[in-house]
Amino acid sequence: MTALALGMAAFLLLNLAAGLLRVYRGPSGADRIIAAQLFGTTTVAMLALLAMVTEQPGLFDVALVFVLLATVLTVAFVRLPRRSQERER
Amino acid sequence: MGELVGWVFDGLLALSLVLLAARVVASARLFESIVLFIVFGLLMAIAWARLAAPHLALAEAAIGAGITGALLLSTFREIVTDQPPSAEAPKVLVYRLRVLMALLAGGVFAVLGWALLSIEVPAGPAAGEQARALVARTGVDDAVTAVLLDFRAYDTLLEMGVLLLAVLGARAAVAAQPPASGDDLWIGGEGDTPMVGALVGLLSPLIIIVAGYLLWVGAYGPGGAFQAGAVLAALGVLLRLTGRLVPLPRAGAFQRGVLVMGLAVFSLAGLLTMATGRAFLQYPEGLAYPMILVIEVALTLSIALPLVLLFSGSAGIAAGRSQHSP
Repeated sequence: MTALALGMAAFLLLNLAAGLLRVYRGPSGADRIIAAQLFGTTTVAMLALLAMVTEQPGLFDVALVFVLLATVLTVAFVRLPRRSQERER
Repeated sequence: MGELVGWVFDGLLALSLVLLAARVVASARLFESIVLFIVFGLLMAIAWARLAAPHLALAEAAIGAGITGALLLSTFREIVTDQPPSAEAPKVLVYRLRVLMALLAGGVFAVLGWALLSIEVPAGPAAGEQARALVARTGVDDAVTAVLLDFRAYDTLLEMGVLLLAVLGARAAVAAQPPASGDDLWIGGEGDTPMVGALVGLLSPLIIIVAGYLLWVGAYGPGGAFQAGAVLAALGVLLRLTGRLVPLPRAGAFQRGVLVMGLAVFSLAGLLTMATGRAFLQYPEGLAYPMILVIEVALTLSIALPLVLLFSGSAGIAAGRSQHSP
C-alpha cells in the first residue's frame, strides 16, 4: 500500500515535470498560469497520498488550504492588462 | 519496496526543486519566473510534508497560494503598465552585480556549512526530547504551538513587533511615493464579470471558517495563529483584487487598534504574569491554555491585517462598492 501510494505520488511528480514544458514553451501567459493551476491540483493529490502514507492527517488541511486559495491566483491573473496575458515579452 | 519508492520520490522532488529554483533565477521571461516561483512553492509544501513538518507545509500553502502569487502578479501588472519595454539594459553592471551576489551567497553558504559541520552533537538525551516531555505542561498538545507560544513566547512577541515595523516602513515608503494614476479599480474599471460576485460570495465564508478552524486546531495539531492569519489575509487579498476593499490614505482608529492588538495583548499577558510574581510570559499552571488561546486570537487578526495592508500598499483599507450586485 505504501509503495503503491508513493509510486502514484512519484508518477504525479513526473506528470508535473511534463507540464513544466508548457510553462517553458508558453506561448501565452494564460497557458503558463493554467499549467500552474493544474500543478495546484496535482499537489493536492500528492498531499492527500502523503497524508495517508505517512499518517499525518494535518496534510489534509494543507490540501484544503491549497484548494481554497487556488482561485486567488486566477483572479490576480485576470487583472493583468490583456496584452501581457497574451504574449511574453 | 516502500522505502525504495520513497527514495525515488524524494530524489525526484529534490531534483525538481533545484532545477525549478535555477530556472526561476535564470529565465529571461519575467512572467515565466513568476509562474515557476509559484510552482516552486507548491513543491516546497510537498517537501515539508515529506520532512514531517506539516506546520511549515500549511504556512507555505497559505502564504504561497494566497498571497505571494497574487503579490508577484500584481507587481508584474505595475511593471508592464508603467514601463514600456526598453531595448537596452545596463548589461555589464548587472553581470558584475550577479557575480558579486553569487560570490557573496557562496561565501555565506560556505560559512554556514562549516558552522553546521563543526557543531558538536551532545551525547545523552537531546534537548528536543526534554522539551517534548514538557509540552504537556503548557496545556496544548501540539509541540510547535507550545514552542511558539510558551517556550519561546518572547521571540514570538518580538516577531509581532517586526511585522508591525514592516507595516510602518511600507507606510513611510508609500507616503513618500503616492500612486501615480487612479488605475486601481479592478480590470481597469470595467466592472465585475458575473463570475466574480458568485466567487467572492462563495469563497469568503469558507475562508473565514477555515481560518477559524486552523486557529482552533493549532492547540493539538498543525495550525495556529500564523497559518490562520495568512489564510485570513488571503481573503483580504481576494477582496482587494475584486474591488471589495479599496485603499485608504490613512488608517482609522479601528485598523490601528487591530494592528497593535496582537503586540498589546501579548505584552499585557506578560505583564500580568509578572504582576503575579512569575517571570515574563511564564503562564500560571492550568491557565496556560486559555491565555495562549486569547493571545492567538489577537495574533491572528494582527497578522492578517498587516499582510493585507502590505499587499494593498496603502496605510488603510475600506469596504469598496461592489459594481455588480449578485
